[in-house]
Amino acid sequence: MEQIIYAIVSEKRGPGKLAACLDGMKGFAGADLFAVNVDEISTVVSEIERADLITDKANAIAFAGVIASLAEHFTLLPMRFGSMLDSPDAIRKMLERNYPEFQNNLQQVENKNEFGLKVICDSEKLMTELLAKSEEVSHTSQQPITGNKDSVFREYVNRKLKAHRREEMLLNYVDKIIAEFTGLLIQNNAVKKVKKMTSTSTLIDAVFLLEKDKKDELVMAIKDMQIKYPGLNFILTGPWPPYNFVDVTLK
Amino acid sequence: MHDSIIDRSKDITILELLDRVLTKGVIITGDVVISVADIDLIYLGVKLMLSSVETMEQLKAGKAIKSV
Repeated sequence: MEQIIYAIVSEKRGPGKLAACLDGMKGFAGADLFAVNVDEISTVVSEIERADLITDKANAIAFAGVIASLAEHFTLLPMRFGSMLDSPDAIRKMLERNYPEFQNNLQQVENKNEFGLKVICDSEKLMTELLAKSEEVSHTSQQPITGNKDSVFREYVNRKLKAHRREEMLLNYVDKIIAEFTGLLIQNNAVKKVKKMTSTSTLIDAVFLLEKDKKDELVMAIKDMQIKYPGLNFILTGPWPPYNFVDVTLK
Repeated sequence: MHDSIIDRSKDITILELLDRVLTKGVIITGDVVISVADIDLIYLGVKLMLSSVETMEQLKAGKAIKSV
């Protein structure tokens, strides 16, 4: 039997509370969950046969479900799906080897939740709106030149300039929204990771770590941004365990 | 009431969940027993689903606040 690991849990604030919480909780294939601990840090595990670990959507959701239930009561670091070790003893040794990193990471995420924000748009519609707003500029500095001996070359340059200007305009627009969003996060002491223009329709794909009691404030602020930018779609998800904010290289 | 903007639509939530559980979190290199092919397949599914969700969201763009 292998041991599948769901999460690294801090027991700093309630020694013994974890064991009580795990009593009756089930993991993969209905196996009992139990804790393997070293000092104030525990792993939550269950026994599993390697052959039973089928990587499908249902199992991935079940795995995440255990982590989500634990995250309601404890500060934890979620494990990636499928993390297994041979025995409780191997887990204990892994905990000992990595104890300072776990402790440091647990401290970073204590009393915080992760949220995700995607800002999606109809890129063509948005571009049309942005171009309309900048119509004046396009009629002065970017006027296409025609009727010239070099007209093919001019056309090519004009086309490239236009494409560049469109791209620049869109990036400026996205930067403006990111600056606004970042300002909100700074006000709320949140840690963030932001990617922009991950696809033609996804302008912003961000994750952030926020203190639990700041949630309502931030939700209201994002709601205001949604009202301010009605042509965009703000998709906020969470609260999640801090999947995107673990920085541990296990030894 | 405040939570009305937090997305509860099943597709997006499952996508976000799978993205996290399959590609994020603490990983034990060398001891992880997963079928890479299976993971790739699930992930491919996730990406395809995401594309269709994005299309759906584009169509809905303009709708100010999501309903719970």
